[in-house]
Amino acid sequence: MIRLQNVCKNYGGTPALSNVNLHIGLGEFAFLVGPSGAGKSTLMRLLYREEVPTSGNVLISGVNLNRLSKGQIPLLRRRLGIIFQDFKLLNSQTVFNNVAYVLRALGVDEREVGKRVGSALAVVGLEHKRDSYPTELSGGEQQRVGIARAIVNGPPVLLADEPTGNLDPATSLEIVQLLERISQRGTTVLISTHDQPIVNAMRRRVIALKKGEVVADVDNGYYELEMA
Amino acid sequence: MLRAIRIFNRVCVETLLGLRASGWSNWLVVSILAIALTIFGCVLQVTMTLKNLVNAWGNQIQISAYLAEGADPKKVAHEISRFPEVKQVEIVTKDVAWNEMQHTFKVASIENPLPNTLHVKLSSPDQVEVLAPKLRLMSAIENVRYPLKVAKKINDVRHFLELAGLFVTTALSAATLVVIGNTIHLVIKARHKEIEILSLMGVGHLYIKCPFVFQGAVYGACAAIMASVVLVGLHLYIDPYVKDQLLSLAPALTQNLEYSMGQTAVLMAILGVVVGAGGSLWTSGRYIKI
Ligand SMILES: Nc1ncnc2c1ncn2[C@@H]1O[C@H](COP(=O)(O)OP(=O)(O)OP(=O)(O)O)[C@@H](O)[C@H]1O
Ligand SMILES: [Mg+2]
Repeated sequence: MIRLQNVCKNYGGTPALSNVNLHIGLGEFAFLVGPSGAGKSTLMRLLYREEVPTSGNVLISGVNLNRLSKGQIPLLRRRLGIIFQDFKLLNSQTVFNNVAYVLRALGVDEREVGKRVGSALAVVGLEHKRDSYPTELSGGEQQRVGIARAIVNGPPVLLADEPTGNLDPATSLEIVQLLERISQRGTTVLISTHDQPIVNAMRRRVIALKKGEVVADVDNGYYELEMA
Repeated sequence: MLRAIRIFNRVCVETLLGLRASGWSNWLVVSILAIALTIFGCVLQVTMTLKNLVNAWGNQIQISAYLAEGADPKKVAHEISRFPEVKQVEIVTKDVAWNEMQHTFKVASIENPLPNTLHVKLSSPDQVEVLAPKLRLMSAIENVRYPLKVAKKINDVRHFLELAGLFVTTALSAATLVVIGNTIHLVIKARHKEIEILSLMGVGHLYIKCPFVFQGAVYGACAAIMASVVLVGLHLYIDPYVKDQLLSLAPALTQNLEYSMGQTAVLMAILGVVVGAGGSLWTSGRYIKI
């Protein structure tokens, strides 16, 4: 599903990622861990083609992102659900409209919008908040809206860069468990984080980055301090 | 099809949102653009009118070529009619001319002193100075005469106006571009979160830019309407005065005082929309990156 081959990414000569090889299969659930500056966000940005690698290949569903034209980037992104640390919600719009925003922009008809938004909100357990505004929600609820928006198009891949960075530990665990539930329905999920307790509570695949290199990649893994 | 209509609908709604968010700078942009278009329209119409005048005048311009003794008028006329600048050659034999003269002036009956004359009409008044020297060079032609000054002056004024108008319109359009750029930049800044979300969720950049380009086009259309209104108003005031003046100067030309308001309005609308939408497209290209 997600494959990186000898990927290097330099920012003005200094490497942010060096020679990363990685494969994440269909429906897999994985953490990307590492200390600040390890290159987690850089790797994520390569996956949704916000950046291109300096060398090497990034493939999603077998499609080499290097070969994507500018016009094809939106098509790639429609197959990805992206979740942000800062939620990126529109405060002037209701929960429902936040989730519906992109569907409407893509010209989906209103009945279909209602159906899809309704079921996405059901997945994250926020149907009762559909008419609230983001500012009236807790951080955890706001992130659930972000997740609902990411899955509303039914993407095969979910990418979350530090989705719990702004949340307290209990809420963080709930969010990650929600993402795990979503992955059980066949969605590939990649979560970047440096939240040790969460990673260790989940016991799932852990890919550890350090100074731009993959230093560990284990199933049922721990996030150990010496990795960092 | 339905999907396209829904997307178009959304774009229009977002365009309106952008216009609402721009507040007073809408008026600034439209006013400056309207001034630019009004000047453009004025120059266009004055130029059109002058062109018509010159043409009308030119149709009356003819070169009189006086033939040398012994030259055969028919042969020379035939030769002259082969010049590309020539529309028509009319032969006035010296007998005819003499008769006419005697008729009008009651001259004493002396021997006919007049030469055979050719009246040469031109296909375009600009060509007078090209054709006249050629005729002068012909051995069968002794002398040529033509009225030139007025047509040349009008033409000079027209060329000057065209240049000045082009310059002023270009300068004002450039100023408009800057103002539009700033306005659209502000809207883009205010909506950067929406733009980022749309872009990351896979909405094409064309759709994302569309509302901004529409906003610019709306400016252009509004400015063109304003400029048209101003121009029509100007005509109501100025036309009678100009007609009066011209009537006392050259009554025959008054019916050539023509311009096309429809054509002007269409051209102003095209220029306005191009400047408006173009400026927005340029700005959104600069500030919206995928
Ligand atoms: N746009 C950029 N321009 C220049 N250097 C960059 C850019 N983005 C990231 N870097 C550098 O690349 C390296 C990796 O950064 P990255 O943001 O991927 O780290 P991270 O693992 O996400 O860290 P954090 O946990 O703090 O978010 C850092 O040294 C950073 O300074
Ligand atoms: Mg980061």
